[in-house]
Amino acid sequence: MNLNIFLLVIMTLAALWTVMARSLLKATMGLAITSAILTILIFRMASPLAAVFELSVCTGLITVVFVSTISMTKPLTHKEIIEASKDRLKRFWYLPVIMILAAIGLCFLKIPGDIKPALSTGTMDVRNVLWNLRQLDMFGQVIIIIAGALGVAILFKERKDEP
Amino acid sequence: MPSLIILVPLLGLIILNMPIGNFMRRGAFWFAIALFSAQVLLAVFHHSLAWTGKLPPVDALFKVGFTIDHLTFIMFICIGLVSFSSLLVARHAMGDEGELFKFINLLIIASVGMSGIVMVKDIFSLYIFLEITSIASFILIAFRKDVYGLEGAFKYLVLSAVATILMLTSIALFILVSGDTSFSTIGASLQSGNRVIVMLAIGIFICGLFIKGGVVPFHGWLPDAYMSAPAPVSILLAGIITKAAGIYTLIRITSAVFGFIEPVKAILMLAGTVSILFGAFAALGQNDFKRMLAYSSISQIGYIVLGAGTGTALGIAGAVFHLFNHSVFKSLLFVNASAVEKELKTNDMNRMGGLSYRMPITSATSMVGFLSTCGIPPLSGFWSKLLILIALWQTGHFAYATIAVLASVLTLAYFLMMQRKVFFGKLALGLENVKERGAGIMFVSIALAFITIGAGIFFPVIYNNFLLPIKEILVK
Amino acid sequence: MSDNILILPILIPLAAGLAILATPKKWRGVKEAIALLATLASLGITLLLFGKSLFYSIPWAGFGISFSLRLYPFSAFIIAATAIFGFLTVLYSSSFLFKKDYAKLFYAYLLVSLSFITGATLSDNLILLLFFWEGLLVTLFGMIALGNKGAFKTATKAFIIVGLCDVCLMVGIAIAGHMSGTFEMSKMNIPIMGVGGIAFLLMMIGAIAKGGSMPFHSWIPDAAIDAPLPFMAIFPAALEKLLSIYFLARISLDIFKMAPESWLSYTLMTIGAITIVFAVMMALVQKDFKRLLSYHAISQLGYMILGIGTLVPAGIVGGLFHMVNNAMYKSCLFMTGGAVEKEAGTTDLAKLGGIGTRMPVTFACFIITALAISGVPPFNGFFSKELVYDGALERGFIFYLAAVVGSFFTAASFLKLGHAAFMGKLQERNRGVREVAWPMLIPMIVIALGCILFGIFNAFPLNHLIQPSISETRLHGESFAGFPTNMTLVIVTVVVLVGALLNHLYGVKKTGNGLGAVDHIHYAPGLSWIYKKAEKGYLDPYNLWWGIINVFSAVMSWIDKAIDWLYNDFATGVANGLAITLKKLHTGSYKIYILWSIAAAIAILVFLLKAGA
Repeated sequence: MNLNIFLLVIMTLAALWTVMARSLLKATMGLAITSAILTILIFRMASPLAAVFELSVCTGLITVVFVSTISMTKPLTHKEIIEASKDRLKRFWYLPVIMILAAIGLCFLKIPGDIKPALSTGTMDVRNVLWNLRQLDMFGQVIIIIAGALGVAILFKERKDEP
Repeated sequence: MPSLIILVPLLGLIILNMPIGNFMRRGAFWFAIALFSAQVLLAVFHHSLAWTGKLPPVDALFKVGFTIDHLTFIMFICIGLVSFSSLLVARHAMGDEGELFKFINLLIIASVGMSGIVMVKDIFSLYIFLEITSIASFILIAFRKDVYGLEGAFKYLVLSAVATILMLTSIALFILVSGDTSFSTIGASLQSGNRVIVMLAIGIFICGLFIKGGVVPFHGWLPDAYMSAPAPVSILLAGIITKAAGIYTLIRITSAVFGFIEPVKAILMLAGTVSILFGAFAALGQNDFKRMLAYSSISQIGYIVLGAGTGTALGIAGAVFHLFNHSVFKSLLFVNASAVEKELKTNDMNRMGGLSYRMPITSATSMVGFLSTCGIPPLSGFWSKLLILIALWQTGHFAYATIAVLASVLTLAYFLMMQRKVFFGKLALGLENVKERGAGIMFVSIALAFITIGAGIFFPVIYNNFLLPIKEILVK
Repeated sequence: MSDNILILPILIPLAAGLAILATPKKWRGVKEAIALLATLASLGITLLLFGKSLFYSIPWAGFGISFSLRLYPFSAFIIAATAIFGFLTVLYSSSFLFKKDYAKLFYAYLLVSLSFITGATLSDNLILLLFFWEGLLVTLFGMIALGNKGAFKTATKAFIIVGLCDVCLMVGIAIAGHMSGTFEMSKMNIPIMGVGGIAFLLMMIGAIAKGGSMPFHSWIPDAAIDAPLPFMAIFPAALEKLLSIYFLARISLDIFKMAPESWLSYTLMTIGAITIVFAVMMALVQKDFKRLLSYHAISQLGYMILGIGTLVPAGIVGGLFHMVNNAMYKSCLFMTGGAVEKEAGTTDLAKLGGIGTRMPVTFACFIITALAISGVPPFNGFFSKELVYDGALERGFIFYLAAVVGSFFTAASFLKLGHAAFMGKLQERNRGVREVAWPMLIPMIVIALGCILFGIFNAFPLNHLIQPSISETRLHGESFAGFPTNMTLVIVTVVVLVGALLNHLYGVKKTGNGLGAVDHIHYAPGLSWIYKKAEKGYLDPYNLWWGIINVFSAVMSWIDKAIDWLYNDFATGVANGLAITLKKLHTGSYKIYILWSIAAAIAILVFLLKAGA
């Protein structure tokens, strides 16, 4: 078992923990750990630029936003935490089951381990790819951001009026 | 030139949102009207200069290029028509001008997303535009911020997330095999790639599209989303969004990338038939007007997938024509359902009855819509079903053809039940003061009904000018 | 003469129908004028076209579907008959429907139907035929729905029965087109074996259901009560029979080239025989003028199916001749029924009686046509029935017997009908009855005269209308004009008719009035039980079918509940154990949707990997 697979397993476990965590703060931590391991994986796969993006945005920025949001909400009482943690195994038992089944299934698929990707990433500059080849996608991102902003404006604007 | 289809709405959107003054809000409606009409007109008169003309600075903006063929034109017409209907209905359904403005913004974004979906020829760009459409739809479903809307939007969001994961995985596998994301390169390299990986990628992608399109058993989000969304959004969702995001994409990707190989055809046909039957039976048991229409949508989507699954020129032509018809008559039925809902403040069919006395135009246009859905000649739905049936027969799938015919009887059954409960019979208690709704909505119903009738009567013209050329997507 | 004149008889009524729809309601008389002019014009054109052979074709929808019309003696004769009946019915309706609210819609539907029938008759392409044929379904629904309170239900019933049979026709056409590689009828020649037999059976169901043969008949008696009367006089009585038998003859003689020894020939004859006997038995005990006639409309179709089904020259000629004759006397009978309804305000036989002296012309027309339908020489019905007897006897005694039994009861029921409606004592409520206006009388007189002429001078219709319609190879050069040659059959017929008269006299003597003339049959041991069941609708295939559907839908709703249970109870039970609140049940369900999707995705992947890699 090489290091990549080991990291993958750890990442999966962290992701599971994120979903099943007993409080939002712990879930955020789980997410950050997942992203961090993902960063290492991407880095090991020779995409340093992507790894840096992942690290700064997902691991850093998003975690900060989440934590600051959570700090503004009312924390759960002790009793509620116990209530919530009581049935979480029952509620999410199928997630690990699906994961294990999927892993077993993939093992049976006889995918050869020595596939070489048809695309060699080393030769292409990321800036070149983003701005010269994939303008349409960048442009799509602009629309997505506008849509997201509109969504926030529509769905969360009047929340403050409500008790 | 085709890039203007995306650029113009976006520029308009930015200008409209500039804090210049309140008149921009009023202008938004007319801007959207102009936009959608231009889209329909350009697509109908597709031989004109608009598609072939050169506009160097704009053309240079996107290097990827676009697919512009007859399938795209038909989708443009559908997108324009349904967005137009949704807009007119929204104008009457939403009292507040500010609300309407926000709605128009999202509507334009959704329509740009769909226009992008039907034009791109790159699998990753396709994914981006799918996301644009989906995000706009999440917000639209939750637009009223009531419990049901949020619940419906949430279900759609979660299931869409699953679809997204599946599609991204598949795209990654495609890149692994072919090294590029354009349809043609992937399509060419699928022959030589590792069979297991290729099949895995194809299967995962199809599953993602099935979720987007609401094919049974991936349909869980669909009835809730359709039912809980505000009226104009139901029209948009049922009329075009699921078709463009799921079904059109399925047809395009299968013909351009996967190729109609036997196992894919088998899956499409089986899923289509299951959807037809499941949707029809489920619709039979509904008491809620909009929920019944939602299940009926699932059933009709099944016909489209079944037709596309034959993989012949005729089958695809039938599927695409059915997609067009379904856009028109399902929008029509949802427009009428929203009118009934607005007048009666309920969707429960058991509390309706005899509405044909009070709302004659709604009743008559619904009749046109459901007769076309059932495939009664000479309405347009008859022709599309006939094409699909002939295609099934020609490819030797007699069992599927039989099921399709029988399910059409089932369709007749639940629509007759609906028509009887809602529009015919004795006027139900408390409905004496119900009135026909505003002229704008009536105009939409009548126009859509005329399109249904007209497309049936002038079927040969449509067939020769729009449907027959679709077979070009099969020739690679 | 240019070939495209063939479009005119289709276009003129269609355009007139649409014009009537566009006419404002207030313009009195305009719609009648348009309808009369249009039917007169198409009558002129069809007579002009008579005896010619033309072919007109333009490409239509690709895939071998072209808009091709073919005029040859058979179709020319059918469209001419259609035009004549159309004109007479419009004339009749102009008085009958005067000041009725729905007149405008009725004329519009009627003209559009005439256009579709002409189109279906002329079309040489099966898909084109299907187009017109299905269009008729819509106008049929519309016309029945115009009638009184129960009409909508009846219209739905008719729509479902005929619609289902049309689906059969559609599938049959698809198979036939697939087998022969073309949809042009004149180029088809399909052997009746295996799939070909199924195709024929499906198309035959479509054809005979249009005419209302058993077991697809049950909407006709209901429509007789609910639908507007001119509809009954022209559609179930005349035009649908013409179209139905025309198409039946086309498929069994042209497309499929059936031989007498084929098993399908026996199927057809059995359907014909059963239709004759059962429908006439039902007709016998009816107590309503129109309902009684409607059962005869079904029964008479049996003679035509039996005649065509024999596939011997005498039978085919007889069947087609009977089609013409039946269209004549049956529409005239319905018209007399309409005249009685208009004057007396009812068609319930118990409330009629003795009005024959007050409406002498109507009564005379009724007598002539009743004699014709009973097969009394020298009226037209006698000659066509003799030909059918001749053909049936050649194929099997049992079929002949059924036809003769049918004849006996037909005569008996018309003796009862005439006696009860027109003779006997005049009731107080019918004092005001007078003869109807001339626009209603003229069609009746014309048709009644036609019945006499077609009987006495039967050589004209047989030699110039019927026999040219059938290919020479079928007829072996025989001619069937003149008085029947087989005197034994004639004697049997006369004996049967006399028997019916004696039976009537016996019944009248026993009960004292015309209405009860057949009560001794109605209440005979054994028969009365069946009649009771039939009257309650237990034997109506439509009701039986709905019974099955109801059971099926109960099962389906049970399955639906089971699925509900699977989604709601079972799924959340998996997630949360056994105890759970209703609220959680709602919020928890999207996970199940995901599980469903994942399960299906796995199934799809497994299949693809098995099949593709």
